[in-house]
Amino acid sequence: MKKKKLFLPRLLTRRYASLGVSVLAVLLMFATAGILLLTIGRNPLDALRSFLQGCGIIAKEKYGGGSGQLTDLMDFLNFLAPMILASLAFITAFKAGLFNIGISGQMLLSGFAATVLVGYNKGLSVYLAKPAVLLTGLLVGGLTGILVGYLKFRFNIHEVVSTIMINYIISYLTGFLINSNYVDMMTRNSKICSPEAGLTLTNVMIGGMKCKIPLALIAAILAALLVSFLFRKTVLGLEIKAVGQSRRCSEYTGIRVSRTILISMGLSGAIAGLAGVAYYLGYTNSIVPKSLPGIGYDSISVALLGNSAPIGSIFAALVVSVFQQGANYMSSSVGVAKEIASLITGILLLFAACGNYMKYRAERKMQQAADSLPVSGNPPAAGGRAAKGAEKP
Amino acid sequence: MNKVFTDGLSFALPLLIMAIGTLYSEKSGVTNLAVEGFQGVGAFFGALAATLMTPLTGAGSQAIIYLAILCAAAGGAVFSCIHGLLCIRFRANQVISGVVINILSVALTAFFTSAANSAISGSASNKFVLDVSARFSVPFLCEIPWIGGLFTAMYPFEIIIAVLAAVMWYLMNRTKFGMRLKACGENPQAVDAAGASVTRIRWAAVIISGALSGIGGICFAYSLLGNFSPSIYQGFGYLAIAAMIFGNWKIGPTTLACLFFGLAKSGGLQLCIAAQLPSKYTDLFLLLPYVLTLLLLIFFSKKNRPPKAAGEPWDKSKR
Repeated sequence: MKKKKLFLPRLLTRRYASLGVSVLAVLLMFATAGILLLTIGRNPLDALRSFLQGCGIIAKEKYGGGSGQLTDLMDFLNFLAPMILASLAFITAFKAGLFNIGISGQMLLSGFAATVLVGYNKGLSVYLAKPAVLLTGLLVGGLTGILVGYLKFRFNIHEVVSTIMINYIISYLTGFLINSNYVDMMTRNSKICSPEAGLTLTNVMIGGMKCKIPLALIAAILAALLVSFLFRKTVLGLEIKAVGQSRRCSEYTGIRVSRTILISMGLSGAIAGLAGVAYYLGYTNSIVPKSLPGIGYDSISVALLGNSAPIGSIFAALVVSVFQQGANYMSSSVGVAKEIASLITGILLLFAACGNYMKYRAERKMQQAADSLPVSGNPPAAGGRAAKGAEKP
Repeated sequence: MNKVFTDGLSFALPLLIMAIGTLYSEKSGVTNLAVEGFQGVGAFFGALAATLMTPLTGAGSQAIIYLAILCAAAGGAVFSCIHGLLCIRFRANQVISGVVINILSVALTAFFTSAANSAISGSASNKFVLDVSARFSVPFLCEIPWIGGLFTAMYPFEIIIAVLAAVMWYLMNRTKFGMRLKACGENPQAVDAAGASVTRIRWAAVIISGALSGIGGICFAYSLLGNFSPSIYQGFGYLAIAAMIFGNWKIGPTTLACLFFGLAKSGGLQLCIAAQLPSKYTDLFLLLPYVLTLLLLIFFSKKNRPPKAAGEPWDKSKR
């Protein structure tokens, strides 16, 4: 009896506690979204299936000529790449206790810079253009991030406020520049960048299906491994984490806090810049003036859901991207406004933010259970608690 | 010149009421980045009420605006409970909670606006069309040279906001509740020892903050935008937070900061019109308030003194 009741708390306090919290958040999100869909009279299972179909994970009933499930799947992966990168950008700053809300702006600025500098430069060969795009993204994003870090430690400006301001400035400024110099009169967006500079190979035929090959996905997975390595094995990573835990404490241990803030914000900006070029020179190939990419905000939910672990965020990005990328198909086949994708992401974010509270409650429950039992009873619970206690100091 | 003052004031006052909302929450020790979301959701409820009631009263009725303001305050207050729940009950990180709420609010209002529109009119439009509120000029005062523009072509809600701001100042600085609220942000343990409930005071502060932000949001929808659409999320809430930071968490200086923002914005726009620049240059002038905010923050942030306990969940057992 008692054992069964403690299943959930145990899941949230043991070794895979973070995973347990994430899974629980996803389950709660499914429940809430399901209830929401039921109240507006739609079948949640249908909606879920068409979300997955829209991403090419489940086959649709019929496909147009020259396209197939693989086409959708590759489109999905093409969208996944900037999502993973953006969430890595958030994580890198978040580990230092900084909230980089400016990922959207950093993405937009670096995407714009790379489009103008490289994408419109017709003379470049493929082997020169693609690295140049990546480099521009890294540099522009990194510099923007460093600016935020500088404002933070030199002038004590909260990074959330400064990044938001910078977001709007970038959005209006690039909007103005696109509208006055680079606008395509037909689409009202910026002109399409050259295929040499694009990070996605288009119209590759695989088994009779037209596919896109997202090269940026390779960069994204590499970046995830590198960020993971940074925080697990390097001194810098340790210092960043120490600053994030307690700024004053790390100052006393001799860590140069201001430098660490600059570096982590710069790294975060640089990765956001990569996400920007992956999005604007891979996924969309043009820029809508005066609009910030939603990925910048979705990345926050991805990072929180992935418990700000670099590898975990790849899986979290899969979950969130399914809703964002599948929204269009779901909207046309089930008939629910496609804004529900953002709503679902928002709900997920809400539950992920409560993760610490879930863990705290679970620990309390375990403690109470252990206290109320006689010494001989239920050794696993007591053992688990003892092991946890031993880890703590 | 008059137009600069008129537009400046009508931008500054909604900003002010949002800034005061943030101030209440932060003074009680709950960091509030969620104003942006509060004002959007508040405006959504106000606009929804206005859209539902318009067939009953007939188009062009001004009474509906007051109803919309009430509903916006109520809606903002209800929505702010999520922030309260996360920050006070669930002890979540308050900055994360604010960001979460802002993201959630954009999605919520976008989804339910199109859902409500398709239920009411059958077309899934993402905006509620509102009338722009009627304007009036204060007799005599509007003829004062130089500052007469402040009293010309005013919106009725400007008076409401001004009165409300004064009441809020009184509540914060001259009542027992206000004193306790400020103490909650500085030393919650002392408030607890004095026998008041920190949790309850913080809840009240967050709900007040939501209600005031909602009023600010619906006023923007009725004046500047003339509709409710996703364009309500233009960063007004963040501007309000910046104004509060310049004001060093005090209502008086915050008012001046808001006036400054309003005048900078309308001044930039009038300058653009006066210089007869092509319309694409308005984008450059629209970014003026944001650049000014950053610059001013650089000068003012250094010697700021935020409430000591802001951002920390209340823990009774802590010393």
